[in-house]
Amino acid sequence: MIEKINEKTIVVALAGSPNTGKSTVFNLMTGLSQHVGNWPGKTVEQKTGVLRRGNLTMNIVDLPGTYSLTANSPEEQIARDYLVKEHPDVVVAIVNAASLERNLYLVAELIELSPRLIIALNMMDVAQQQGKKIDAKALAEGLNIPVIPIVASKNQGLDELVATIEQEYSQPLGSRELKHIEYGSDIKKVIDHVEQLLDDSLTAPYPKHWTAMKLLEGDKQINKLIMGRVPPGQSSSLDSYLRENESAAVTIATLRFEWVGKMMAATQEKPPLGRVSLAEKIDRVATHPITGLFILLVVLGLIFGFVYSIGIPIQKFLEVHLIDNGRAVVNTIFLSIPTWIRSLLADGILSGVGIVMTFIPILMLFFAAWAFMEDVGYMARAAFVTDRFMHLLGLHGKSVLPLALGFGCNVPAILGTRIIDSPRSRLLTIILAPLVPCTARMAVVTLIAAAFFGNQAIFVSIGLVIFSLIMLIITGLIMNRFVVGGEDSALLMELPLYHLPNPRIIGMVTWQNTMAFIKRAGTIILTVSIIIWILSVVPHGDINTSTLSQIGKLLEPVGRLMGLNWQMMVALLSSFIAKENTIATLGTLLSGQGTGLAQQLRTVLTPASALAFLVVQVLFIPCIASVAAIRHETKTWRWPIITIVYQFLLSFSIAILVFQIARLV
Amino acid sequence: MDSERTEEYLEAIYKEQSKGEPASTSFLARDLGVSQPAVSDMLKNLESKGLIDYQSSKGATLTDLGVERALGVIRRHRLWERFLTDVLGMKWDKVHEVACKLEHVDVPEVEERLAVILGDTDTCPHGYSIPDKKGNVKEEKAIPLTSFQALQRVNILAIDEGDSVLLRDIEKKGLKPQVIVTILKKNEDGSLELEAGKKRIRLSAKLAAALQAKPATIHQTDVVKEETPLSKLIPGHSGILKEYTGDRSLLGRCLSLGFTPGSVVKMIENFKSGPVLVKVHDTEIALGRDLAEHITVTRNETA
Repeated sequence: MIEKINEKTIVVALAGSPNTGKSTVFNLMTGLSQHVGNWPGKTVEQKTGVLRRGNLTMNIVDLPGTYSLTANSPEEQIARDYLVKEHPDVVVAIVNAASLERNLYLVAELIELSPRLIIALNMMDVAQQQGKKIDAKALAEGLNIPVIPIVASKNQGLDELVATIEQEYSQPLGSRELKHIEYGSDIKKVIDHVEQLLDDSLTAPYPKHWTAMKLLEGDKQINKLIMGRVPPGQSSSLDSYLRENESAAVTIATLRFEWVGKMMAATQEKPPLGRVSLAEKIDRVATHPITGLFILLVVLGLIFGFVYSIGIPIQKFLEVHLIDNGRAVVNTIFLSIPTWIRSLLADGILSGVGIVMTFIPILMLFFAAWAFMEDVGYMARAAFVTDRFMHLLGLHGKSVLPLALGFGCNVPAILGTRIIDSPRSRLLTIILAPLVPCTARMAVVTLIAAAFFGNQAIFVSIGLVIFSLIMLIITGLIMNRFVVGGEDSALLMELPLYHLPNPRIIGMVTWQNTMAFIKRAGTIILTVSIIIWILSVVPHGDINTSTLSQIGKLLEPVGRLMGLNWQMMVALLSSFIAKENTIATLGTLLSGQGTGLAQQLRTVLTPASALAFLVVQVLFIPCIASVAAIRHETKTWRWPIITIVYQFLLSFSIAILVFQIARLV
Repeated sequence: MDSERTEEYLEAIYKEQSKGEPASTSFLARDLGVSQPAVSDMLKNLESKGLIDYQSSKGATLTDLGVERALGVIRRHRLWERFLTDVLGMKWDKVHEVACKLEHVDVPEVEERLAVILGDTDTCPHGYSIPDKKGNVKEEKAIPLTSFQALQRVNILAIDEGDSVLLRDIEKKGLKPQVIVTILKKNEDGSLELEAGKKRIRLSAKLAAALQAKPATIHQTDVVKEETPLSKLIPGHSGILKEYTGDRSLLGRCLSLGFTPGSVVKMIENFKSGPVLVKVHDTEIALGRDLAEHITVTRNETA
């Protein structure tokens, strides 16, 4: 490759509060060149992407959405550490013009840490609709920073923003004199005093003045860092001085908002006061404990109806045409290749991973429905309505979203818990997510219930869903009380403005989530499908004498308590790989009689044992993909193991109970 | 259009006569800082324009036309004061002087836009009523704080705006219009001891004389301007944030979301034991009940 001499690469960081359309701007700038990963050592998503413009390559880093740069959350810590330690060439603050006042607070903080700052004034159209007239020029003059009005949802103003980034970069550092906030003399004295107690080597890489302010603002991370570095004799005097000036945190924030107020006065004409906005009127209904709950149930009902009425036929179609036909093709056409490879392809890969992949359309629909709800701003309202119930289980209002997503698949539910900011509520949600009956489990339930309970099958299925949710609540109460330590944290979240859905954003989010699912879950399921296939063929190539059946036979004594023979136990075990594997395994194990699966099932199960099997199946240990997700999200083996042991004991003991009672009836 | 000088005379006469007496030449000379002969000349001039009735023995009173002009100036003065504090964020002790200059800009459109921007405010930052466009004033009967008896509960209505040092001292004591105080004790030297909220305040005779008040009604002591946890606000009502008393580890998050002292918080949804939904700095924020119980607000209005 020929390298051009004037080729340049710069790093551009996007900063901004949640609900400013930051990810839309990021998506527009980077297109599909994005890389999604994690920030080092954190379960906070890191998105990077590339934008090329002539000879200039911009590496764009999407910083986590934050309201301030005080480390109240991992997101805030990541954002400010990135600014301080990585020195991005240009920082773009994405600001929501419709709530400028709140957003300028973060700008007040960014000014202190970013030598080259640009403001992208997003959602200008929304601001206009609300009757807010914003003078971008006045803001730019007031701050002495370029301000670019944009409407990201309509792809307006992005070119100018990119051009401004390039132009700012071409200016030497320090050529712009930034207008820092003037803190009043009283508080300045206090800041100065703290600064005197520190020196530069002590606070590196953070600037000294900034560190002093963060100490006064009560930033725990900075406090810990500095207290660890200060010589022992000095630390107590610093500590007591900070304690004496505890109220400085409030003063600093108030002064910052006062500064913001001044900027606002110069920038925005106040809309007439005393008007109750439409959003407020809608919210009186949407967040009301009774009407709001009703709306939530209707919305969830519509989503499930939509997803299943479209998704299930597609899944069935794929199963028949791709998997069944695929197996037939493998077994008839590739006759020249060795039998064991054909078996691996047909029974191992197609029946394992292949089946899982047929559920992807359903998942995509779920993701799309979720992205839609998020984009119009309803999600936060749903979280608000459910918070009062979730609180009882130690969960957060936002927990309802991943849990509901769990009806599609538990894996994205576990990954989706990232939206919960309280670590404790998040952990509890992760532990509970595997108890939500996913599509795959319901597929098994539907099939077996239909074989045994005829017209009543639908009630058995619904009953099992309700039963699972009751178990989830009981588990929540137990875990909240006895297992997960720590304090409950309070609900504190912004409800974004309602706005029209943007198909582009919804499409993009759906695509990203689906790809992430395929990558994360696909690889594991593929590996394990192959392992299980190996277990089912070694040592003699016959499943009835295979290692898998040996394990099944080992479990038979326990199985007998539930009325289950070893084939059923093996089928249950195979659901560890993927829940719907139960059907495939039963198909393999019970084949040979030449009749349908339903009929074969009736030869090995009674209605009582069938019910016990359904119960143990819905509560059984999470599938391997979920276990991997739990490990991934909690960063320890402790929680996956606890979940496995707990659900193992729970499912077996309840199934035994069910069988013993049902047998008497 | 009246000259600035004329407007200042009309304003001064209006204020004096609303205390019940015609404005004497000596008073006007003192108030406006000019010589008595100059005052007499000016008053004769005003009388010839039909703005005042003038008798050199008693003083000057405004004619109906005079009252109308005076109210126009006063309206603009007080609107500007509001604008300077609420929109430009200036301190209340500095705005009187500036408003004295701005009040003379008599452009109807400016006045109208000012009123729109300020919305439904009907008093100046010092508590005086702003006359409406038609010249109606809802001036409430206010008497000097010093005329009340000990143990009376009073509602501070207005504060003399001329002396900025005085205003600053009064602000430091936490007193402003619409605050309700109880007079605990009247000292011999004219100073007062008051209770406001749960705080005890000592007010020198000089400061006490600058305050105008009226007896607080029971209704007001219960509903208006009373401190309460945020969790007790009814939907539709709003309050001004006073302080946060909860867990310090959440203080930073509360502050960065805009829960700073002095911010207006409007309750949107508040049902039984669940979380509450409020609007602060133009954004809706959901917060847990525990948190709302630890945020103190001063009730802002009755809906």
